[in-house]
This record gives sequence, C-alpha cells and structure tokens, in this order.
Amino acid sequence: MSTISALGLILLILMILVGGKAGAQSFLALLLNFGLLFLAIVLVAFHFSPLIVTLVTGMLVLALTIFMSSGDDLSSTVAFIASAVVLVVLVAVIVPVEQWALVQGFGPEDSEDLEGLSVLVGISFVQVTTATAILSTLGAIAEAAMAIAAGLSEILEQHPQVGLKALMGDGIAVGKQIIGTTFNTLFFGFFGGFLALFIWFTGVHYSFGEILNDKIFVSEILMILFAMVSVILTVPITTWVMTRAVAGQRKRADKAKP
Amino acid sequence: MQVMKGKRVQGWFWLLALVIGGLLIWGTQHNAGLYHDPIMKVTQVKTGRATKETDDFHNQDSQTKQILTGHILNGAYRGRSLTVTNTYSQSGAMDQRYHVGSQLFVVVHQHVNQKLTATAKDVKRDTPLLTMIWVVVALLLLIMQFSGFMAFLSVAANGVLFLMAILLNGSTQGAQVLWIFGSLAIVFAALTLWLVLGANRQMLITLATTLGGTLFSIIVALLVFHFTHERGMYYESMQYVTQLPRPLFLAETLLGSLGAVMDESTDIISSLFALKRERPELSTNQVFKSGRQIGSTIMGPLINVLFFIFVADTFPMAMLYLKNGNSWGYTFSMNMSMGVVQSLISGIGIVLAVPLASFLASRFMEKKVVA
Repeated sequence: MSTISALGLILLILMILVGGKAGAQSFLALLLNFGLLFLAIVLVAFHFSPLIVTLVTGMLVLALTIFMSSGDDLSSTVAFIASAVVLVVLVAVIVPVEQWALVQGFGPEDSEDLEGLSVLVGISFVQVTTATAILSTLGAIAEAAMAIAAGLSEILEQHPQVGLKALMGDGIAVGKQIIGTTFNTLFFGFFGGFLALFIWFTGVHYSFGEILNDKIFVSEILMILFAMVSVILTVPITTWVMTRAVAGQRKRADKAKP
Repeated sequence: MQVMKGKRVQGWFWLLALVIGGLLIWGTQHNAGLYHDPIMKVTQVKTGRATKETDDFHNQDSQTKQILTGHILNGAYRGRSLTVTNTYSQSGAMDQRYHVGSQLFVVVHQHVNQKLTATAKDVKRDTPLLTMIWVVVALLLLIMQFSGFMAFLSVAANGVLFLMAILLNGSTQGAQVLWIFGSLAIVFAALTLWLVLGANRQMLITLATTLGGTLFSIIVALLVFHFTHERGMYYESMQYVTQLPRPLFLAETLLGSLGAVMDESTDIISSLFALKRERPELSTNQVFKSGRQIGSTIMGPLINVLFFIFVADTFPMAMLYLKNGNSWGYTFSMNMSMGVVQSLISGIGIVLAVPLASFLASRFMEKKVVA
C-alpha cells in the first residue's frame, strides 16, 4: 500500500469516527476538491483561459467545501454567499497586483527543476500565477466564512431572539477571536511549505535587497497577503450576510403570524 | 453624539492610512539610493517584431526583442544613460516585458571607450510588495482594531522567531532541522496564543490541544512511513532543497499543521466559552457534544485551507510538466504527491484535535465563566 493511500484511509476513518456522516462528507469534499484542482490544471494545459477556469473552479470548490460540511442550512447558505462575494472582490485585487509585480512563472531558483523542460508553451504565465494565487486562498475564504457563520448560528440556536445589532457585534467579536489564529494558520501553512526556500536564501547569502525583490519570494509573500486580505474581508461580509438572512427570516415569520 | 464622534475619528484614521500608503508608494519608487546594484529607469522602449517558436512538443509561442533606453538612478554611474536589450516571450515564464517607467536591476559592463553597456537582470519589486503589506495592515487595524493589532503583532513576532530559527539551522548545516523547528513550534504556539487570547485558562486549554493534536499527527505519520516504507513519496521532487530532505519535509509538515490545529482549537474552545457565557447552566456533556458538533463542521474546511496552500502552489510546474508531454500520473508524482502527503498528515492532526479540544474544554472550563 502506498503512503498516500494509507494516510488517506486513516484520515477517512478518523473523520467518520469524529464527525459521523458529516465527516465522511467532508472527506469526499476533499477528494472532489483535489479532482477539481487537477482538472483545472489539465484544462489550462489544453489552452482554456486560466482566469475563467479558476473562477468556475473556485465557485465549485467553495460550494463543495461549504455545503458538504455539516452546517445547518442557514449557516451554510450564508457562508457560501459571503465567500462567493469575497472571491469576486479578491479577483479584482489579485489580477492587477500580479500584473504590476511581474512575479509570473519561475525564478532563477527554479532552474534546476526546469532542466530539460521547455518553458515556451504558449500559455500566459501571468494568468497561471494569478490563478495559483486565487486557488491557494480558496480554502482560507471558505474556512473563515464557515467559522463566523457557524459561531453566529450557535448563538442564534441558544438565543433565538437575539437582536440584529447584537448579532452584528457578536459576528465581529467572533471574528476578532479567530483573526489572530487564522492569520497564523496562513503564516505557518505558507512558511511551512516554503521553509526550504528560506533556508536556500540564507545558505546562498542573498542580500536583504535581493530577497525583497526576488521573484519567487515576492510571489510567495503576495500569496500570503492575498489570503490575509480575503480573511479580513470575510469577517464583516459574512456577518452582514447573516444579519440580512436573519432579518429576512424574521420578516417572513412575522408575516406568517396573523 | 458619541456615535458621531466615533465615526469622525474613524474617518480620520482612513485618511491617515491613505496618506501613509501614498508616501510608501512614492518612497519605494525613489529609494534606489538604498541599493548597491545599479538600477535603471526605462524612459523609452522600442519593440521589435515577434518571432514564432515551436518546441519539441508542438507548443507554439512567440518571442519579442525590445530595446530599452534609460538612465541609472544610483551608485557610481548615477545619471548616465544607457541602452539594454530584453527578450520576452508571449507566455513569460522566465522573462518579462518592460514598459516606460519600469525600474530594472542591471549589470553594467565598462568598456575602454567609456561607453556603457549593460544587461537587464530583473525588475524592482519592492513597491508592490510593500504596498500590499500596507493594505493588509491598514485593513487589519481599521476593521479589527485592537485584535487586529495583536494578530499583526503575533505574525510579526513569529516571523522574527522563524528567521532566527532559519539562521540557527544554517549555522548547524541543517543537521538539527527537526529539533530546531520542533522546539520552536512549542514557543510559536505559546507566544501566539498568549498574544491572541491572553494568559488565562482558555489559553492553557487551547495550547494543550494544539500541541497534543500536532504531536499525534506526526506520530501517526511516522508510523505510517514505517509500515508503508514511504512508497509513492518522492523526496527528490521537493523544490529548493539544499539539505537532507526527509527531516526537512517533516519540519515543513509540522509547521504547516501547527497553525491549522491552533486555529481549530481556538475556534472550538472560544465558541464553547462563549456558549457557556450565554448559557451557564449547560452540563459538561452538553458542552462536549457542542464542541464536537462545531469541530466536525469546521474540520473539513480547515483541512481544505492547508490542502490548497500546499497543493495549489504546484499549479505552474504541474501544467508545464503536462505541456512537456508527461503523463498525468508522472505529473502528479513529481509535483503534487508531497503536498498531498503533507495535507493528509495535517488533516489527521486537525481531526484528532476535535475530540481533544472538546474533552479538555468541557472538563477543565471553570464552572462559571467570567466574561
């Protein structure tokens, strides 16, 4: 048995033990997300527009991740709408910044890995790198939106009559509680993944100025920053969508009463 | 009255943030004097005709030559004008197109007849980098206020620790990488949680869960590695490796999952504390069940966060492999397999932290939570 299938099997069993049916669903969502990501790469290799492929994949990934984890209907719907809004805002930020910073493709540090590969493949790497940045933040957007929506939904369940203003405050309060650790998830996730690169920089004695202008370094840091922007924006947007949803629900409930 | 005052103060803060941002952009465009390498500002661009290229795999691309005229902004050649050539391709994987106003690092060659020639090395990227950092800090402070400041502080403090650990690793030639980053993980977690939650019972419970969950996941991973003999793991596919890959891979995984497990424990435990504050009459068992419910909702999305961070990054290289006539299976093995293994190990830590957090919170939470 290969290591990947053994680890995958253990993860599946643990997820079912801890989360029951919901756990199994989350695992399935993870598998499907991998499939979607791979499909996106294949489609781009077949010359479909990287940005359009990414937007469609992004929406599907958000829907899968959010609706296949067990939240109640209200929090899932709210989380999905909010994260879709954040995704669109984020694309509007990432596209111009990637064009401006010129961090597309590969840097001199990649030469060894690129040996024997032709890089003149006729696909715009500015768009591919933009797509990569968008895809790498998807998980963070979905997670933050779900955390806020789930926290608010718990409060609503325990306190069904909580006022809208108080709910808005609660949302920002939950956001304030999670923002520090969510940032650290991103920080550690990205820096963990690029530990080798940073060791390279110190090993080869890059100067501070060289690091600050290095293509790969800037590209990596920009990815972390995009993810952070998306998480910050997710807090007020999700809270706002939730208050709208609750207000709508209460209006309908009032109308139903004679 | 109070509200209006608050609004006005906030307006001033936004204005202040804008002014600082403008100064920052202007400053980084005029900081060439801080660099040792000569920087050239492009004032004129002449673009040649595009030539079509086809590689062995029938990929079509085109290359264009541009002649850039400009002057040096700093150093011994300051003010001297010169001309450099640059070739860019339509795809632009290893090259880029320059425009009037671009600032480039150049390598200057001195000739006998005092004429300067140079080659363009790379573009200056500090302006976009610092601008984006400023956007994040400004948004953080304006929307999250004090908590945002603490979040920023914890990331900055961890960044400094991280840098020190890397330097320490360099001075030991990478022999102790797992121990250095393993012990640092404990410091990272304690410092971050202290900054975010303050020194209290909630923080201690969260810290215990974080370290427990991460430790369990690494133990499970090592056991699986042992029994499967690491089949299907391609250490040679890791990028930028300058030292023994296996301990480096484990250190990367440890750090990567630490943040996510910390995030999750905080989410669950802070929700449980808030719940207990709202409804103090809940029993230990009800709190545990609530924790498991919250946990099983967020564990899936959280594993996804790491999955996308670890695997989406391989997009450009994987696509290049496909365009160079490699099979799907080989492309996966050489680019994505290590990222998938990392995501799975982190996932195991994240799932194990759910019962751990719920158990510790429900048992050790004070009977009456003080807000």
